[in-house]
Amino acid sequence: MTEPTLAQEAFTDGLLASWSRRVSLACLWLAGTGLVLMSLIILWQVFARYVLNASPAWSEQLALYLLVWTVLLAAAASVREQYHIRITALEQRVAEAPRRGMRLATHAVTAVMGICLVVFGSELVVALWAYPIPTLGLPRGSAFACMPLAGILFVAYSLEHSLALLKRRRVRPAWD
Amino acid sequence: MGLAVLLFALLALLVLGVPVAMALLAASLLTFLVLDVDLVVGVQRLASGINVFSLMAIPFFVFAGDLMYRAGIAERLVRVADAALGRTRGGLGQVNVGASMMFGAVSGSAVASVSALGSALMPMMAKKGYDPDYAVNVTCTAAILGLIIPPSHNMIIYTASAGIGVSIGDLFLAGVLPGILAGSMLAMTAWLVARRRNYPRGEFPGWYAFLRALLAAIPGLVSALIIIVGIVGGVFTPTESAAVAVAYTVLVAVFGYRSLGLKGFGLAVTGAVRTTAMVMLIIGSAAVFGWALAVLEGPSQLAELVGRMTDSPVLVLLIVIVILLLLGTFMDMAPLIIITTPIFLPLVMAFGMDPVHFGIVLMLALGIGLVTPPVGSVLFVGSAIGKIRIEEAVRTIWPFYLALLAALLLIAYIPAISLTLPGLLS
Repeated sequence: MTEPTLAQEAFTDGLLASWSRRVSLACLWLAGTGLVLMSLIILWQVFARYVLNASPAWSEQLALYLLVWTVLLAAAASVREQYHIRITALEQRVAEAPRRGMRLATHAVTAVMGICLVVFGSELVVALWAYPIPTLGLPRGSAFACMPLAGILFVAYSLEHSLALLKRRRVRPAWD
Repeated sequence: MGLAVLLFALLALLVLGVPVAMALLAASLLTFLVLDVDLVVGVQRLASGINVFSLMAIPFFVFAGDLMYRAGIAERLVRVADAALGRTRGGLGQVNVGASMMFGAVSGSAVASVSALGSALMPMMAKKGYDPDYAVNVTCTAAILGLIIPPSHNMIIYTASAGIGVSIGDLFLAGVLPGILAGSMLAMTAWLVARRRNYPRGEFPGWYAFLRALLAAIPGLVSALIIIVGIVGGVFTPTESAAVAVAYTVLVAVFGYRSLGLKGFGLAVTGAVRTTAMVMLIIGSAAVFGWALAVLEGPSQLAELVGRMTDSPVLVLLIVIVILLLLGTFMDMAPLIIITTPIFLPLVMAFGMDPVHFGIVLMLALGIGLVTPPVGSVLFVGSAIGKIRIEEAVRTIWPFYLALLAALLLIAYIPAISLTLPGLLS
């Protein structure tokens, strides 16, 4: 996802930009930890079944819980880091001004999706809070609490990119 | 009306450059608004689309493949292929195809394959007088073999998108013979082109060197065996087998090859997280999209439309293949699997096709799209490593395209190539 004409421009800076980087890094770290934990849990499940002859009841549910959080946190950071795959065929063929317009529009769509995640995700969390996840005892709603959280980050990061675009700057990647 | 909104909005958002996951979600939610469906249903579908145990295999497979790559498996596979195949005319072309097939058994990612083998083989080929366009052509087209040679995380994406309980074990087995067939056809093409360009022969390093190279590569290749045998034999679920592959890879890399430090491990984790977030968010959004599509009876409308045009299964499959190839030229593989499977699978099944067989056809057809302009991630990476422009690479690539297309048609129209192994073994 290179942006040929913006390449020579400076990165955004300041307090907000540095916090935005930190939050993105934190999301990636948490997601990475989630991935490693998930692997360990499933390995334990295999070990317990074949060596201890007792399949743990909690392992699948716990790994799934981590999966949803891992995906949503990493997906939120990916909005900032521009990891989400998209088609740039048209964008690369138009002039600078319409390209900036198109990019602003794509960030706006992402922000609206973020708002949907916050509003309807919260509704989902509240609706499912009373139901415990079998074998874990945690509220089902808490597994999906990552959705409104990710939604907030979708909005924030789309705004950051839009502002950077208006100022003819780029968002410095947190991880490269 | 609803169907038109859904498809048109998706197309418009994709062309605009909205990330695929957001475009799928936005088009679906917009359709929900039109149909007066509560938007909470959409978000709930998104959540339940991600909250699926078998999908956890995707991050694990990506993770294991990335670990293997960072442990330097590619160089070891190249040494085996070189010892076995290097002595023919234009031997490094054959070596390239052979190494790609083995790499495909370790990692299911075509981009990882082209970057790993390209960096190992292209300098070797340049030194021996091979033209860079040839090196890029062979490496890129051979890289997509890994998509059909098991294990392949794209096949898990397919089974998840199919939603009708297609067996991963069957799909893995079904990919073996088509992978060998397509590989042989590429190897033959590489040989023909090499002969015309008069590339040099390599030398056989002797049996001792060959065995030594093989011995060094075997621990890496065994991970594929663990996964396939584990799943087909019913020892593990696909997710469990993928987690075991991660653990095995770490063991081999740290203690066997001694080539993976904490930094490499960290890079593999972030690489896997990055791919996971991208693919899984699309899967979740596609679940919302698929639900909207199903409510609007999209697939059955399509089947009816096609049914009115023709009742020939041969023609229907051909139409589907042409559409997949066209879509593949400008879109990436994972999102295309997720979007096209729920649309085309019911159609071809209505015309009597086996879903496992269609899975293999889909993998290869969309894989070819990865090496075609305007959007072809494998071609982009390959050209960048070969240090030539994409236009130069594409000018001479047509014999390799022809080989892949011929393999695709054979695989599509002779179901036995795909279905014999799963029929025998599962």
